[in-house]
Amino acid sequence: MRDIRIGPVHFFSLVLMFELGTALVVNVGMEAGRDAWIAIFLGCLVGMLIYTGYNYLFKLYPDLPLSGYARAILGKPLGAVVVTLYAVIFLNGAGRDMRDGSALLVMAALNRTPIMIVAAMMILSCGYVLHKGLEVLARTSFIIMIFVLMIGGVITLLMLFSGEMEWSRILPMLGDGIKPVALSVIRSNYMFPFGEVFCFLMLMPYIGDKKRAVWIVPSAILAAGLIISYTALVNITVLGSDMVERSPFPLLSTVSKAALSDFIQRLDVLVVMLLIIGVFFKVAVYYGAAVIAISDLFNLPYRTLIIPSAIIILFSGMLDSRSFVEHLEEGGEMLTFVYPVFTIVIPAILIIVAAFRNYRSRSRPG
Amino acid sequence: MKKNGPNSQNESAGASGKQAAGTGNQAVLTISDNLAVTLENIKRELGSSPDLKIRKFQIGSAKPFWAAAVYMDGMVNTAAVDEFILEALMENPEDAAEEMPREPQDRLGLVLARGLELGEIAIRDNWDDMMLSLLSGNTIILLDGCSKAIEGGTKGGAWRTVSEPSSQIVIRGPKDSFVESLITNIALIRRRIKSPKLWVEFMKFGTVTNTDVALLYMKDRADRKVLDQVKFRLSKIDIEAVLESSYIEQLIQDKVFTPFPTVFNTERPDVAAANLLEGRIVLIVDGTPFVLIMPTVLAQFLQSTDDYSLQFDIATLMRLVRYVSLIILLLGPSVFIALTTFHYEMVPTPMLISLLAQRENVPFPAAIEAIIMEAAFEILREAGIRMPRAVGQTVSVVGALILGMAVVEAGIITPVMVIVVALTGIASFAIPSYNLAVAGRIVRFGFMIAASMFGFYGITLGLIVLIAHVNSLQSFGTPYLAPFSPFSVRGQKDTVVRVPMFLVNLRPNKLGHMNDNDKSGKDKGTSDSGKDGQTGA
Repeated sequence: MRDIRIGPVHFFSLVLMFELGTALVVNVGMEAGRDAWIAIFLGCLVGMLIYTGYNYLFKLYPDLPLSGYARAILGKPLGAVVVTLYAVIFLNGAGRDMRDGSALLVMAALNRTPIMIVAAMMILSCGYVLHKGLEVLARTSFIIMIFVLMIGGVITLLMLFSGEMEWSRILPMLGDGIKPVALSVIRSNYMFPFGEVFCFLMLMPYIGDKKRAVWIVPSAILAAGLIISYTALVNITVLGSDMVERSPFPLLSTVSKAALSDFIQRLDVLVVMLLIIGVFFKVAVYYGAAVIAISDLFNLPYRTLIIPSAIIILFSGMLDSRSFVEHLEEGGEMLTFVYPVFTIVIPAILIIVAAFRNYRSRSRPG
Repeated sequence: MKKNGPNSQNESAGASGKQAAGTGNQAVLTISDNLAVTLENIKRELGSSPDLKIRKFQIGSAKPFWAAAVYMDGMVNTAAVDEFILEALMENPEDAAEEMPREPQDRLGLVLARGLELGEIAIRDNWDDMMLSLLSGNTIILLDGCSKAIEGGTKGGAWRTVSEPSSQIVIRGPKDSFVESLITNIALIRRRIKSPKLWVEFMKFGTVTNTDVALLYMKDRADRKVLDQVKFRLSKIDIEAVLESSYIEQLIQDKVFTPFPTVFNTERPDVAAANLLEGRIVLIVDGTPFVLIMPTVLAQFLQSTDDYSLQFDIATLMRLVRYVSLIILLLGPSVFIALTTFHYEMVPTPMLISLLAQRENVPFPAAIEAIIMEAAFEILREAGIRMPRAVGQTVSVVGALILGMAVVEAGIITPVMVIVVALTGIASFAIPSYNLAVAGRIVRFGFMIAASMFGFYGITLGLIVLIAHVNSLQSFGTPYLAPFSPFSVRGQKDTVVRVPMFLVNLRPNKLGHMNDNDKSGKDKGTSDSGKDGQTGA
């Protein structure tokens, strides 16, 4: 898998699709009420900030994924432990997203299909695409991205023409002060979905163009932030913050309001498709990161790990909680307590150790 | 070894003493300087086949010597043999009498220099070469006392004449089509590209059939890497018989399990010529009018020669229609199944009511209905292809009436389903390339099954997997979805949109290599803009 080279545009689209993921459809940042869109935007800026840290590591080790330089920086045994932890969190992330997505799909469209089957289909598709390689995944994401942006355009036009948008619903801006917004950002917003880019620590070395690689992910984060923020804005102007807060899929409710004469009435299915696509890319990227981490750690071929990982993801995702409510609860706690360790703490340690080593090795000869 | 098979059997009918000697000779058969022996060997090797014609005659009047013309009946141009070989050799010019060489071996030179009134002449001193040449329709001239044979190019015999293509028909554009003769086919292309840069390489495939294959490319335009790749894969071919270009196609295409065609084929010389000009490589196989074109991309299967005869806006519209047809072919029935079984809230209410009213009399779920109907349609189509032309009409009448009307009246299928299936069927015919239409038909069933189990979830996942699959395909190093992914703006000139002629550069940049294309294209872009920036600053 060493010879994979993903073009910058394709990498951008992969990051964008990963970021949009489920965040486009589900409720994000609603602790901030009608200022959710501001919270999302701030979260996105924080995400970019975090990424500048990752870029430092990338510049030091442009040819190694996280699993490679973690061992280079921390030494073999400790590094191996860290990489194992990352592999576990990647598998867990894939499992969680798969569970999220399947549960949402069962709720939104497939009420009578067993969730296990829905999840199995998802993981099978991801496995197939990953078997074809990361490059194929990225190039697929590009085509799908165009499709998603087209859906976005259609929905926007429909909302504008249907006259459901009421701009007064977002006023007064920051009416309750900055505090709820800041709280929302700190609690979970920077993490979901923007902090999740830590997966790309595993994929960064595969970018074909190393010079511009540094800018690709942050710009994708920014684009994703703008799109999600815009979606939240539309949701709030159409539904009002009160309804958005209580709705599991605000975009679904928003779109169902759109109607052009009697013909185009319910375009919910477009939103469901967005959800499916989003979940697919989230699961696929986590899954891919996990497979790369494991194959790098144990020196096993990439392709042979796809099926075992799929089985782990499927069952761990399905069995991690007894109900969807418990799953969501767990997810919230993971976002607040577990994910930051992997997004911020460990990379921060890596950066500090690497910088220290770098400093020492540079100062020693002088 | 292979030639020995039928031969030794023949031999066993003859005297047993001779048999041993005969088979002993087989391995080292050479052209003997004794004419009678050589002729006997040829006869024996071909099992005294009745279509083997041997004409013995004398050359020279003063010191005549024996010669023989050997050819296969039906494979030669008889007029040429009679006029330019037999007649030319047998009439004895007066001055030739004194020039008649003393040494038998010199006779060859004289015959070559003076005797044959034929353009294509070669000397064969190897038995196998001579036999192959004989079996290819050439006339072999043997001279007594000479251990070399003269090969006279008299290939001929009956071929289908150049006629209108039976597939890939256009309204406006050239109406000729390739035929089964390799040489004629090459000529059809050369007549269109009168350039010294058009290079032709000959090779032979099939250890038994010895089929001629010609590799054509434009020396200055063909991608070196692709050409090497094609030659490399051709060199790996090990096959006994090549009866159609598909034999070669299946052996050289990229080894991936996929329904999608990764080698383009055409019956039209103008298409082949256009592809040569775009830097592609054309492979012509003797005995089939379908030539192979490599490398190819998906978009090529949706192009028709018509596009270039029509005005660009009309051509673009036609292209769009074809892309939409492909989408309808892939997704038509499955979207209908998903809508009526999973997402009926999406259907406008009045229409839903009418749909449900139709459903009332029908015992099957939409998925079963669709699969029954599609299967029936496939059977009809298969029957229609092989029907004698006179009966073909009957099939369409029976198909339309029985399957269309009766099935609805009998309450087996809803009328809407008939519409959907008919639309899908027509859409499959709107795709110019038969190969792609077949691939679409197969994939369509997959989508139908996915839609019947998971509704739009199945369709969406199926689409992602399909896009990934097509994305992973390559045709001789060229990404299959080339101008779309890796995306290139220059490539868009001739894909969905056909830009006006004055903007078309005949070579859209869709032949880049998978790894290079993306990078080199983008890099070029940045370095250009970088330069611009610098000069600006």
